[in-house]
This record gives sequence, structure tokens and C-alpha cells, in this order.
Amino acid sequence: MPNLKEVIISITSRCNLKCRMCDIPSGKIDELSTSQWKNVIKDACRLGAQTVVFSGGEPLLREDIFELISFTKKNGMSACVTSNGTLIDDRTAGRLYDSGVNVVNISLEGKKATHDFLRGKGGFDKAIAGLKELRKYKIESTVAATVSKYNYADLPYVLELAKENGATTVRLQPFNVIFLRDPGCRKEFLINKAEIAVAGEALENFVELSKKHKISTNPSSYLHKIPEYLSGREFFTRQCGALWYSCPINPNGDVFPCWIEAKNRLIGNVKEKSLYEIWLSERRLKAIRDIMKKGCKGCLMSCYDEAFGDELPAARVFGKIKKFKKLADSRKVINKTRQFLKGALVRSRLRYRFYSSYGGSWQVVLKRKLRGMFAKAGSSRKYPQDKNASLSSEISCLRKKIEREMRLL
Amino acid sequence: MQQSKGLREYFSDFETNLAYYFSEKLNRLLAKPRWIYISLSHQCTYNCQMCGVVNILKDYQISTPEVKKIFDEISEWDWDFTVVITGGEPFLRRDIFEIFKYAKEKAIGIEVVSNGALIDPPMAEKIIRSGIDNIAVSLDGAKEGTHDLIREKGAFRKAVQAIKNLSEAKKKNGFGPQLSVWTTIMKENIGELFDIIGLSRSLGVECLVYHPVIVAQEDMQNTSPHARFWPGTKDVETLIEQIRMISDYQKKNGFIAFLHDPFLWVKHFRGELTRGEWKCNPFVFINIGPDGEVRSCGASFGNTKNMSLGECLDTKEASQARKMMRECLKPCLQTCWANPDADSLSGIVDGLIQRVRNSRADKGDKKRILSAALAKLAFYEEMSKECQT
Repeated sequence: MPNLKEVIISITSRCNLKCRMCDIPSGKIDELSTSQWKNVIKDACRLGAQTVVFSGGEPLLREDIFELISFTKKNGMSACVTSNGTLIDDRTAGRLYDSGVNVVNISLEGKKATHDFLRGKGGFDKAIAGLKELRKYKIESTVAATVSKYNYADLPYVLELAKENGATTVRLQPFNVIFLRDPGCRKEFLINKAEIAVAGEALENFVELSKKHKISTNPSSYLHKIPEYLSGREFFTRQCGALWYSCPINPNGDVFPCWIEAKNRLIGNVKEKSLYEIWLSERRLKAIRDIMKKGCKGCLMSCYDEAFGDELPAARVFGKIKKFKKLADSRKVINKTRQFLKGALVRSRLRYRFYSSYGGSWQVVLKRKLRGMFAKAGSSRKYPQDKNASLSSEISCLRKKIEREMRLL
Repeated sequence: MQQSKGLREYFSDFETNLAYYFSEKLNRLLAKPRWIYISLSHQCTYNCQMCGVVNILKDYQISTPEVKKIFDEISEWDWDFTVVITGGEPFLRRDIFEIFKYAKEKAIGIEVVSNGALIDPPMAEKIIRSGIDNIAVSLDGAKEGTHDLIREKGAFRKAVQAIKNLSEAKKKNGFGPQLSVWTTIMKENIGELFDIIGLSRSLGVECLVYHPVIVAQEDMQNTSPHARFWPGTKDVETLIEQIRMISDYQKKNGFIAFLHDPFLWVKHFRGELTRGEWKCNPFVFINIGPDGEVRSCGASFGNTKNMSLGECLDTKEASQARKMMRECLKPCLQTCWANPDADSLSGIVDGLIQRVRNSRADKGDKKRILSAALAKLAFYEEMSKECQT
């Protein structure tokens, strides 16, 4: 039975970069307050979500992001931050570590020249520095790339970079026009038919390298569709898993069935109704039904690949909507006990599911989990600056000891 | 007068340990290495299971003038260090005694690690008279079969004969280097660890060192935990029994030089050893390869052919390699990084205070030493503050 898995919160539309393939920062939207977001996260927990993704804009521009992450963790869900990496310095990485974030996703578009061309000068170096800071604090980092005409050749290089800097996953996502205001610009990023084979080869290389380096990526069936998609082909579908599993929310609290339909269909605002009510409302189910009837041109966004292998038979889904409502109510109880318990078993299961949603063999999942455990055991919860501070305090303490000894003589 | 000299020694220990401690903490070159390993060449008489050295840098040999140049430089260091000559098999080199002689002229302490294959009575005589400080022969089993399985047929007899020759020559001359045995702990010999004590004692050995085999160290030995010699879970249980017997023996008789708590071996083989329990100090050890490259662990610092050893230690590559070592999460429990004295600051200071308290020197001397220690600490405190900003 499909159930809410992932809440994608676009926490702010502000951003410190001005990328070529994204116009989100130019549209100014009022943002929700911290307490309003907390209510959203609580509701997501009630609905049985496992992951909360903080995206944007640049989510690290919000001061309360750390508080929201730790609130998510308190509610027993995994927290993931999608950032461009430019703002992650030592202090921010330390605060992220303290908040308990599970994964930080950093965008890398390719070689330095490509990245700086797409995302603005200096972005590459800062992103790499960000990755290194995350590694220092043993925070799991993943890398994401938006595949377009400019960077498909650089993808194996991105993988090498990810390996070098300790990232565990590289997710690819083809360029999508919905983030641009003027759809006419789309052509700029598409490839011509002659390039399909070249791009296919690059992706083949990418997949092989990922196996060699043991870095997980999207399912290969998904990756092989990217070149054709970039040449303009449409992947028409009526059964997208994203409608059932994920729930995108805008900075002002608008809830949509899916990012693609964001412009046309609003199913509610969390300021007026709680996310719980919105998610179970007839309005949402109607919207989903409409989309499924009409069909979708297909987007190959990363939320879509979740159900890519086994598409949902629509009839089965609709037959069980009533049961689904009941189930959601019983889930309330389950989640309450889950909050009570907060036991290691539940958490590890959640974590396992979260990792397995990223694709990868169970060995890889287990290895990552173990690495996380070791990282926690190995490193104390102190920042390096604090370590030095405690060093000088230790020295002064020992000096006093010696002085006492001298007086005793 | 003598006692105050003892105090001075305590203080110099204190100084070196502090230097190692703060070098590691602040990643600054404040200390010189304690151990300088020189691999003369990677040629060897055997090709042992756990050691892949023979296959790396086959055609390289560090030449005698190069070794002499290194000795010239390090003999001027104001630092307490030891040179360990390894290989391959060092006695395959014809100029080995020339090197020993030169080191003796420069008053450098030398230790040699050998497999004993080439040490016949005349050679043993020469070694004893060469003025080195320690000669170690590797012995990997108490039974002939075990040792030969790991190394080569006939290796056990040769090694035992070598030790006998050495101890006889030492008796005859009345002086000579310390005779020691090094044992690599691995699956094949895990049941015989305790028996090696009896065997080596009967041969006239003075010191025994155990060290576990290494995992996946690309530069030195290409081994991995899936290799044949890596102990499984059952073998580790046997190891625990053996360790109990060995440590009981050590408490009563000494003889065995433990470089760390032996129960760490168990954790090592189970893969549970963390950096909290054992860490190597990247400043304690360097290895000069047959190609002249200076390494500690991992990347090369520089080449002694182009620059002096002191310059090699101070390069950018060196500080980067050390940074990697500091972040290493896979401690390997080798003999080279053994400097647990410098692991904790309070340990270093407490050690000094205890020793000063127990010594019978004058109060004035004691006060002078303690105030010097205070000044040293103040110096490092300022330095750490500097690093912070």
C-alpha cells in the first residue's frame, strides 16, 4: 500500500548562487516560521514518513535549519539536506554534526570549468571544501549532478571526485525545465541526436566506475533513459510513484502532488490546514486521480526513480483507498509508540530503509551503517577549535599541578 | 651528582614526549623521528606468505654513499633515535659491514632485522664485533613445520642455527649486541606463540617481540584480511589463551618486550580496534626505501637523493601525509609506531612528577627541573594558542 515516504521541504527560495538551470531564487516567496515548519514535520511523522529532505533555494541560508533537523531526528525520521556546499565551513559542518543530520547532498556538475560555468565562479572550490569539511565530521555526504548538454561528459569525473572526497552516493538527474521561468530556454540544455550515443557511452562509463568504486547511484535502467530524455523524447507515464510516496512543500507552505504539477495544481496550504488533513483530503486524491487519468509527460526526476522498476498497478491502488485511510489512522498509534520507544531497533530499521531507498546492495547498506556507527564511537562531540581550547585548559591545569608539587618540596 | 644526572634524563624524556605530543596535536614539526628504518634493498632469500616486499621496487638499491650521507646528517641531530636496518634481507648486501662501521664511527645506534639464513659462524663473529646494538632474527614458529610452511623449507633450521651461532660468538667475545627474536602473529603459528618463549630462551636469546601481521598496507606489504594467514574467530580464541600464558610468564620473568597491551591483538584481528585505543604518532617513525623515498605511512615525503632528510621531513607532502595518518581509523599495531608514552599529556606530566618525587636528589635540583618543566609547558601553551588563531 503506498504511503508517504518522503517529505521534500523547500525551506527557502533564497540562494547565494545564480545557476543557469534554475530560476527559483528570483521569485520571492514569504517563508513559514520555525514553529509552522515544526508542525509540518510532526504531521509528516504522523503520516509515517521516513525521510525529511530540506531543499531550497539554499537551505543553509536559514538560521533555524539546524533546529529543524534536530527536531526531525527527535521524531524518529531521517533528515537530509540538499545544498550547493558553498556555505559549509568548519563551523556549519560542526553544527550540522550536532544537529544529527543523516545525509548532506552536495551538487557537483563536473570539472571545475563546467561547474563554474553552470553555477558561477568559485562554486567548485567551495563545494569541494564543503565536502571535505563534511568528511572531517564523518557526516555522510552524497553528490548530485544535473545532467545536461554541458556536463554529460564530465560524469565519470564527478564520480571520481565523489570517491576521493568520501561521498557514498552519486545521484544523477536530467535537466528539467520546470525550474526555469522561460520554457524557451530549454533548448539550450538539450542534446542533439548525434550526441545520444556519446552521452550513452559516458553514462556506461559512469555505471562501470560506480561499480568499481562501490558508490551507489540511481538504478541503471533509469540512467540509460537519460540520454534519450535529454534529446527531447518524452517518457509518458500514468503510474508515477512520486505522487504516492513524496510530498513537496513550497517555502510559503503550498503543498503539491508533485514538482512537475506544482504550477497547475495546489492541494492545500499548511497555514490553513495541517499537512495531515491535506494529505488525507479528497482534494489530493482527486488531483492524483486526474493526473493519472490524463497521464504525465515524465520527468526522470530523482523522486521518480523510486518506483521505476515496479510501477504501481493503478486499479489496486484505488480499490484500497478506504483501507488506506484506516491504515493511516492506525499509523497514528504506531507512530506514537514509536516516539515512546525510540529504541535502537526502530531506528536502525528506519535507517536501513532510508539507505536501501538509495539503491545499492545490502552489503553496501550494511557497510554504510557500520561506518556511521564507528564514526560515532570514534569521534567525541567536540569541534576541533574546542579541542584546542580544552588543550590549553588542560595545560594550565597541569601547570597548577606542578606548582603544587614545587610548594610541597 | 649522579642523581641529578638521573633527573636530567627524566627531563629530557619529558621534553621529547612533549614534543611528540604537541607535534601530533598541532601537526607541526617539533620533533625528530625516534625510529629511522632504512630498507637497503628489497631482495630477500625467501618469499614469505605475509610479506610482499620482494615484489615491490625490485631493481632499486640504496647506495652506500647515500646511506653514509644520511648518517652524516642524522648524527648531528640533537635527538635520541635509533636506526633500524631492514630489507629484504640486509645481509645480502656486501657493504653491510661498511655501513655498520660508519655508523659506529658516527655513534649512531643500529638495530638489524634478519631472517638468519646467511648467518654462519664467521658471519656471526663479524656481526658481534661490528658494534651494532641489537640483532633481531625472525622466528615464526616453535616447530620446524610451521616456520617452514610460512617461509621456505629449511628456513627454521637455518634461523635456529643462526641464533646459536650468534649467542656462541657473543659468549666467546664477552660483549655484543642484544639478541632478540621477532615473531609475527598469524593464523599458522597462533598455537605456538607461548612455545616460542621456551625455544628462544634455550637458544640464548635475550628479548622477544611479538607483532601482529599487517592489513593492506600498500607501500610495504600487500596483504589483506582475506589472506590465508589472517586468524579466524576460532583462532582468536586460541590467541586469547596464548596471551594469558604469555603475559603470566612476562610478569614473572620479563624477557618479552610488550609494546602495547597484548589484548589489543585480539581486537586487531577481530577488526574492532579503534583509534581511541591505539594510535600511531606520525612523527615517531620514518622509513627510507631502497629508492631513497622517505615515507612514514602512505605517501612519500620526498627523496633523500635530491634533498637532505631534514628537508624531506618538512615538506608540504610530509605534513599532508601526516594529516592522513592522524585521521587513519585502522591502527595496525606495528612495532615502529610504538610510543604510547606520548599519548596523553597528563600522563607525561604525571610521569615526570612521580619520577621527581621518587628520586633522591636535592630539593634545589628538583625545583629547578620542575620550574624548567613549567617553562616548557608555558611555551607549548602559547604555541597552541597561536595555532588556534
